[in-house]
Amino acid sequence: MAYLAQLGALADELVASLAAAALDTAEGRKRQAADRESALRGIRFHSFLGTNQFDVEDQLKGFDERFRVIGRESLADALSERLAALDPHRNKWTPDVLRFILELADQPAQKSDLRN
Amino acid sequence: MPGDERSEKQAAAQQAVDILHEISTILNCHLDRRTLSICISMVENGVNPEALATVVKELRKEGQEAQVESSAAAARRR
Repeated sequence: MAYLAQLGALADELVASLAAAALDTAEGRKRQAADRESALRGIRFHSFLGTNQFDVEDQLKGFDERFRVIGRESLADALSERLAALDPHRNKWTPDVLRFILELADQPAQKSDLRN
Repeated sequence: MPGDERSEKQAAAQQAVDILHEISTILNCHLDRRTLSICISMVENGVNPEALATVVKELRKEGQEAQVESSAAAARRR
């Protein structure tokens, strides 16, 4: 029960951060409640498998190679530098967090800008 | 001292989030630090990362739709 309450609180924060509807209207409140329900359903009932940390490492290596092949060495260096810096902070959740980040990667070879 | 230990742990956790945020920026994930921090907490609570990424994409879509609708409503009121 405590777990669900904590998950619910985090889902509230996530909805507020990503889909913040105007809460001063009845429509906005209804929308936010629906978003929260849908988010909780999405994270509780799914058919995804657990994270394979070797797949995650392969995918990160793949990005490094792709960046270098297209001449974006600075991006590849920045990525490997950050991954090395992450090493002392690694825990059992790190592969899952990296998996999450990889899922949201949006054509970094073409679109990433280091000035950001 | 336990207080010192706690603040050291907190600082290390903040540093880890900073590094992960930088990685997400390099990979162009469109995540701000606060959202990433919430998502990390969810993953640490056992939420599947792929399911969470799907939810994030859906919520972004919802947020964009809500914004378009509220702009249209504001334009109608004018």
